[in-house]
Amino acid sequence: MDIIVFVKRVPDTSEADINISPDGLHIIEKDLVFDINESDKYAVEEAVQIKEKLGGSVTAITLGTDSSEDVLRRCLATGVDQAIRLTDEAFRDSDACGTARVLAAAVKDLKYDLILTGVQANDDLQSQVGPVLAEYLGLLHVTVVNKLEIDGKIARVHRELEGGVEDVLEVRLPAVLTIQTGINEPRYVSIMGIRKASRLEIKVRNAADLSLSPDGVGQKASQVKIEKLFIPVSNKATEILTGSLDEMTQKLAGIIKEKGGIS
Amino acid sequence: MDFELSKEQMDIQQAVREFVRTELTRDYLLDLERKHEFPWKAWQKACELGFVAINFPEEYGGGGYGSMEKVIVIEEFCRQAAGVGTAITTGNFGSKIIANRGTKEQKEKYLPLMCQGEAVTFGAFTEPDRGSDLVSSPLGTSAVKEGDYYIINGAKTFISGANIAKFGVVLCQTDLNASPPYKGHSILIVDCPSPGFEATEWEKMGMNSFPSCQVSFNNVKVSKDNLVGKENEGFYYAVEFLNEVRVETAATAVGMGQGVLDRAVEYARNRMAFGRKIGEFQAISHKIAEMATKVETARLAVYKAAWGIDHKKADPKMCSIAKWYAARMAVEVADEGIEIMGGHGYMLENDMERFYRDVRSTELVEGTKEIHKNTIARALLGKLS
Amino acid sequence: MGGILVIAEHRKGDLLDVTWEILNKAAVVSESTGQRVTAVLAGFNVRAMAEKLAGRAHKVVVVDNPELANYNYEVYRDVLTGIIKNLRPVLILIGHTTTGMDLAPALAAHLNIPLATACIDFSIEDGKLTAIRQMYNGKVNARVCFSSSDCYMVTLRPGSFSVETENAWGGEIQSISLEVEKPSGIKFIRSVEAALGEVDITQADILVSVGQGIGDKKNLQLVEELAALLGGTLSCSRPVVDKKWLPKERQVGSSGKTVKPKVYLAIGISGSFQHLMGLKGGTIIAINKDPRAPIFRVADYGIVGDLFQVVPVLKEKIKSLK
Repeated sequence: MDIIVFVKRVPDTSEADINISPDGLHIIEKDLVFDINESDKYAVEEAVQIKEKLGGSVTAITLGTDSSEDVLRRCLATGVDQAIRLTDEAFRDSDACGTARVLAAAVKDLKYDLILTGVQANDDLQSQVGPVLAEYLGLLHVTVVNKLEIDGKIARVHRELEGGVEDVLEVRLPAVLTIQTGINEPRYVSIMGIRKASRLEIKVRNAADLSLSPDGVGQKASQVKIEKLFIPVSNKATEILTGSLDEMTQKLAGIIKEKGGIS
Repeated sequence: MDFELSKEQMDIQQAVREFVRTELTRDYLLDLERKHEFPWKAWQKACELGFVAINFPEEYGGGGYGSMEKVIVIEEFCRQAAGVGTAITTGNFGSKIIANRGTKEQKEKYLPLMCQGEAVTFGAFTEPDRGSDLVSSPLGTSAVKEGDYYIINGAKTFISGANIAKFGVVLCQTDLNASPPYKGHSILIVDCPSPGFEATEWEKMGMNSFPSCQVSFNNVKVSKDNLVGKENEGFYYAVEFLNEVRVETAATAVGMGQGVLDRAVEYARNRMAFGRKIGEFQAISHKIAEMATKVETARLAVYKAAWGIDHKKADPKMCSIAKWYAARMAVEVADEGIEIMGGHGYMLENDMERFYRDVRSTELVEGTKEIHKNTIARALLGKLS
Repeated sequence: MGGILVIAEHRKGDLLDVTWEILNKAAVVSESTGQRVTAVLAGFNVRAMAEKLAGRAHKVVVVDNPELANYNYEVYRDVLTGIIKNLRPVLILIGHTTTGMDLAPALAAHLNIPLATACIDFSIEDGKLTAIRQMYNGKVNARVCFSSSDCYMVTLRPGSFSVETENAWGGEIQSISLEVEKPSGIKFIRSVEAALGEVDITQADILVSVGQGIGDKKNLQLVEELAALLGGTLSCSRPVVDKKWLPKERQVGSSGKTVKPKVYLAIGISGSFQHLMGLKGGTIIAINKDPRAPIFRVADYGIVGDLFQVVPVLKEKIKSLK
């Protein structure tokens, strides 16, 4: 099985302070730690596990500047066979469709049975690129897959819904599947993996290599644009308790009792 | 001169960081501390991922990297886990001598076991009545050749891991009449268990997950094939090896210093007093600044010393500078770390006091700071009489 | 031509809350722009739901066909493409649910309609559409605009608008019969209901909920004791289930359970939108060391602090109150 996995380098914002740039269009990246997008990590592990079971190859592809190679090296170190980075000034500030157009061009001449991505990128939270890519490649897609079995030319998947419900579907391959976190347990990066990755060359492709006209990608072609970023202000009157630890917990205990929290 | 880590080194650092964050949790570490247990589970996984033998040759199961990469691994482990980090990353103490000077057969027999996480190993140099001074008088541990064997008698002390190891290297006196005495030293590999070999654990201030033992040799019979390198050249192999491990010890100190700094910063950012976060008071913020300065300068000294080893320019003076300075600064940093946390700093469950107890050993092992100052001074002043 | 199209989502004969929320917003926008609201209902045996929708839309377009009994992108794409090309709305609204998001991006790309997802609001002013969408763990919002187009699509997060309705519009119901081809690429096999565990957190009045901040499975004891002390039930956010520290039946959130307790203690939970979607009421109390965690925007009360320091002391205070 030849599998392509699309991955993205994103900042870890779960515990960091986020500040917005003076022009209001970007966040300040300086002190943020970057890593592979969480659900992409699970997609990579799923692809590698399928390859280990059925044979074949896994290719990881990312759209990004050279710092994105960290993420590709990590993929190569955890069982991916080859990695491609797509980069061009023209790709900058693409919307989801622009990005998908670039990715589609990248795989046009590659052989594949299955394409995986994560469910959503934890920076922009758009969850669009996977299905849009499928559309541009003329493939079908299933999103939020939390269980995957390959049976010849069919993928049997569980699509995760709200409330713990799942739909079981069969998809004819090739197809695009977006992978949900928790589907497997991603392996650690080992020293042997890093060694192996250092010996592999990451291919770099630009717009010309992909025969992409700059008109179809990047900011110019973007149909949805950010006007302004802002830190959301809450309408709710949240009461943050102050004082010593003793005082705060005393007050909170009283509130809990008052609101019916002690039975 | 490039002060940034290479891409591969950054990947290694990131890989270790992810591992220690998930595997060496506070609860796991507290549990080990309370039970005085070696971190078998985490050590096994660390070996399988190649972290422990990263600077050993690939053909025997090592990572094929150098001292610099080992330093990076050690720093991240000790930053997260203090002495447990030392136990995991230096649980293969002594094996490097086999890699450096052993025969092909010895390397094939012993190194893969260590690389794959099947053997903890020890290196026995220090004796009950000689630690700093291994040169002025013959060693108390003798190895007498009898036919195809050496018979070892004597005692070594403060040997890490000797009671849980599968094998180790021992510095013995093979020529009792050598002058000066160190010209009669040899290195022998001892398998464990061996009849006559007994290791008993000391109770100590810290490093409770890494046992330190008194080892007695009572007519321990060892095959002549276990001689590493040439007879009576052992001292030189030991000195070469000690340069490397001094840098590793220094790295444990840098890692622990960083771990203390991380925790002190987090505390100063959250703890309130007199209506402000305590990090706003200069008394605290200046402490943090000084701690950061110490950790960073120690780190650079360690990196330079490691660079020297990797580029075949090992400089004993630099290794000594790195070792005594990193250890001293880590002890000072840990002391301030406790001070910043106040009463909480004294309590077991808050990590800080464990760093304080664990890090004190780094000043004592692999040469006390006094010995290192001798080394540095001699390099600069030369022989004066 | 023109108008606002709301794609109604339903499951097992019930319309989802998000559909009503979107219709409410659409009604407000309709009032200020004059654009009429049409609800689109595709499914099998959906007449009863169509009648309900007619109370809150100017028109309801219904496609009732056995092939539409269960959501299948292949089939729904073809049906909706036909309807959209026919009705030519200016704005299409879909709920940002798992199914909505399986449908919207590819459908929008198929029809070359600009789409903004994960939105919590939108407005049309002087004929210009802008939307507010979430980014970066919900810590940053973005106001987005669109390049000129005949039609736009927006997916809206559940819980963004009020769900209360007064269904008094009396809209026209139009049934459309279409040739619906059997799908060839995606086959629906069956649905798997949530496994019934031993604990039903939806029945609890008091929930002590724990998030990633707990750090380790072993630390759960701390919050378990707190829950026991309060006579409450332990619940959690998704990352705790992903790490297998607690079973899925304890998960509060869009892919877990929806709860409406009297008191909800969120401990070490950042408050991602997916988690908050499962929280429908009661007094929310948050303990988290990150003052900018989104949970503090929805909590009634909060303590910014290290849960390992706060919870033990809180337990003592509660013990003395009992």
